[in-house]
Amino acid sequence: MKDYIRICDVEKYYGNGANVTKAVDRVSFNVNQGEFVGVMGASGSGKTTLLNLLSTIDSVTAGHIYYGSTDITELREEKLADFRKENLGFVFQEYNLLDTLTIEENIMLAMTLQKKSRQEIREECEKMLALLGIAEVRDQFPYQVSGGQKQRCACARALVNHPQLLLADEPTGALDSRSSQTLLETFTEMNRELSATIFMVTHDAFSASYCSRILFLKDGRIFHELVRGDKDRREFLGQILDVLSLTGGELSDAR
Amino acid sequence: MHGKLAFRNVKRSAKDYLVYFLTMTFVTALMFAFDTVIFSEDLQGRVGAVNLMQMLIILATVFIVIIIAWLINYMVRFMLQKRSREFGTYLLLGMRKKTIAHLYMRENAVLGTGAFLCGIVLGILLQQILLSILYSMLKEQYHLQVFLDKRCIAMTASCYAGCYILALLRCSRKFRKMNIRELMYAGQQNEEIKESHEEWKKWLLPLSVLFLCAFGIWLFFGKQWNSGTIICYLVGLVLVVYLFFMGLSSWIVCYVRRKGRAVYRGENLFLLRQFSSKVKTMQFTMGTLTALFTIAFLGCTAAVMFNDYQNQILEDKFPFDVQVFSEKKDEDFAKELEIIGQEAEIREACPYHIFHNGENQVNVWMYTHLQAFGEMFRNADGTPALDEIRGSSGEGNWYGTYDTYMGLSVYNHLRGMLGYATVSLNEGEYLIHIKERIYRKTGDFSKELSIQGREGELRCAGYRTEAFSLDGHNGADYVIVVPDSETDEMEVFYSELAVDIEGEAPEDLGALLDGLAELSEEEMLDMAGHAEIQDGRTGSGTDTMVVYYSKYLVRDNLIPEVKYMLSSLIFPLFYIGLVFLCVALTVLSVQQLSDSAKYKFRYGVLQKIGMKKREITGVVGKQLVMYFLCPALFAAVISGIVALYISVQFVDATGVKTSAFLYFGVTCGLFFGIYAIYFTATYIGFVRNVEE
Repeated sequence: MKDYIRICDVEKYYGNGANVTKAVDRVSFNVNQGEFVGVMGASGSGKTTLLNLLSTIDSVTAGHIYYGSTDITELREEKLADFRKENLGFVFQEYNLLDTLTIEENIMLAMTLQKKSRQEIREECEKMLALLGIAEVRDQFPYQVSGGQKQRCACARALVNHPQLLLADEPTGALDSRSSQTLLETFTEMNRELSATIFMVTHDAFSASYCSRILFLKDGRIFHELVRGDKDRREFLGQILDVLSLTGGELSDAR
Repeated sequence: MHGKLAFRNVKRSAKDYLVYFLTMTFVTALMFAFDTVIFSEDLQGRVGAVNLMQMLIILATVFIVIIIAWLINYMVRFMLQKRSREFGTYLLLGMRKKTIAHLYMRENAVLGTGAFLCGIVLGILLQQILLSILYSMLKEQYHLQVFLDKRCIAMTASCYAGCYILALLRCSRKFRKMNIRELMYAGQQNEEIKESHEEWKKWLLPLSVLFLCAFGIWLFFGKQWNSGTIICYLVGLVLVVYLFFMGLSSWIVCYVRRKGRAVYRGENLFLLRQFSSKVKTMQFTMGTLTALFTIAFLGCTAAVMFNDYQNQILEDKFPFDVQVFSEKKDEDFAKELEIIGQEAEIREACPYHIFHNGENQVNVWMYTHLQAFGEMFRNADGTPALDEIRGSSGEGNWYGTYDTYMGLSVYNHLRGMLGYATVSLNEGEYLIHIKERIYRKTGDFSKELSIQGREGELRCAGYRTEAFSLDGHNGADYVIVVPDSETDEMEVFYSELAVDIEGEAPEDLGALLDGLAELSEEEMLDMAGHAEIQDGRTGSGTDTMVVYYSKYLVRDNLIPEVKYMLSSLIFPLFYIGLVFLCVALTVLSVQQLSDSAKYKFRYGVLQKIGMKKREITGVVGKQLVMYFLCPALFAAVISGIVALYISVQFVDATGVKTSAFLYFGVTCGLFFGIYAIYFTATYIGFVRNVEE
């Protein structure tokens, strides 16, 4: 389906008077169903703000965000919570798992809050635990498992309700390279097998190379876009690095 | 610079610790107000019972100081733990441990001094309330005046400062031992939830419940009350208070692990896990809080009980304005009447006799049938243990050597003086005037008696149960009323005088009458200045709470005295109950409020996975209710069992016409009133912290 999610002229300003900071400045793009979109940019380029706007955690100053035919910028707080619950899944750098719940219970909770049946909760949970390879640590508490396992648990929690969009904010930020790779492969698998639409914010070229399309953000604006197409991952990584080197190696120096 | 930092820190943490600050203020105020009673010279000069009150208040203060020391120690350590990361940062910046310890102590000193000063101001207000209540009990006018005795302030301050210094000394030891790494990670240490042996630990919950059931059954139906059993049960109770929470948290953990049905419903999984992990890390504190709540409940129940007794019974205890006993058979009470006549206007004076017929069958019946005596006066085969009874009769024991009789005309005359309707008896009939509480237990027992008159056995014409001075004056517990013709044949047992005076009796009438007894100082001290009946043949009945077995009863002098004496119990009991309750609630409240940073993150996660704000506020409410109610309800169950038992005994022993449930009910009302204040404050603060 084309135009699954449409971001139209979105702006987000912080502060007032002379102190206005344009965190996101007239950004427009579309995300198609089953796409794995990455957003890259230096610190302060507005990528997390953009993610927050997409995830309804923050409200836009101007512009519209359409999920299908629903304009989430027009929804009130109560409706937004429902929308979040039914349509979005989150994965954060800091995992955001509840420390009082075991790995399995963290996944279960996302479903019990949606008032799903006991049977469904059990089945889905089993499926997710197996799919993400965390079944053997299901009864452990977050502090007892590795960062990679925590992040996979967060993924499972995000995907268990089959959201329209999975939002990931620097998901590999706190992981070692091996765990990062496993997680990103999981993302790709989810994207392929469950047709999950993923929107990932990252500043790491390696992570970005798993995406099917990358938006480069600078000072709140999209300044470049790369599509993977039929290229293999290494080739795509090279392309990303080229963009980065073209802009001076470090995104922060890309002026 | 450090002073400024300390002040800023106090200001910053004021929000989280406001409840603690207010409780300390309130406790200081209470302490100051009650210390006034100890040091008030004005009160000391008035009543002998004041000494009793002072002693009991000092005793209560000792307990309160211990508990306040615990609270301060707990809070100081708690705050230290919460802020260990901050102190670690100070160390990293190059501050010395000693400097940080001083900074922390200075902060606590600012907080403590603030609470103390506010407490003294509030205390002056409480002092006025307390003193006016006491003076009104003594039936004296109280003029509002601020009583700022140096000793009183010094005592309050030293109790308070002692608690602080103890807690801070312990803390500075902790400071010395800590290193930067420990300080930086101290906050995270209790994040780890260790679950081990939950399967067997969960059985502690049903075991605790079983123990409480056994305890209740033993209390109400048990007959073997030796000291070994009592100690066993007390030790068991203390263990149960602490082990219950271990069992409870394990039970919940096992339930969640087993994936019980409720786990799949809404936010239950989150709430159950949250609650069990909190109880698990706090089980010792929870146990201590339960103990505090239990003491508060019991203290208040006892206070309510005595208060009810004071309101209901005292008027009945002394129905006549003045009553005088004399062991002489031909007493004319001339001296007594002269004194009374000088001091007050006599409306009516009635000298009369109490008779006996040389038998003691009613006394024997009482000894062998009243529940209060149990098996004490019965042989193994159920027959009366006459030797025991003889040994216990007379000399101020329960019943006299003989049964007590009164003639109908005197009886009716006395009834007239008390405003009761007269009664009539036919020849060959008798009636029993008995204490109502005893009649409720015995019912009609006349069929088991055989009272012989001049012309054969007398018939029982019924019972009367109005207040009739049955604590040794008009007989002990009962008096048998017979037609005058019967008393003619009986022997005079002792003489009595009942006087009705105009208006109220003057304050010193009792003392003047007691002076007539010419007792030694030692003997006077035994009865708090009253002349005890020393007849050796009469008894004082089975009342237990207040028994004035004294020759001269002047109602208007005795009621304030007894009231004051009972207040000596009521006030310290309320004092202890109130302080313990506030301390426990403060710990609960502060625990939750200062944890709100951690909860904020958790609720943030819930919001991210789709919970609405309104739903989150609901979850906060449920979580707080669970956390607040758990120790309170558990304490209510334990103290409910004990309080109900004591109340039943109390109602039986005193004859107050109150349902035994009511005392605990009133206490629960008071308890949950204060509880609701703390809960609401915590809830508002918590929601504000989470939403910020």
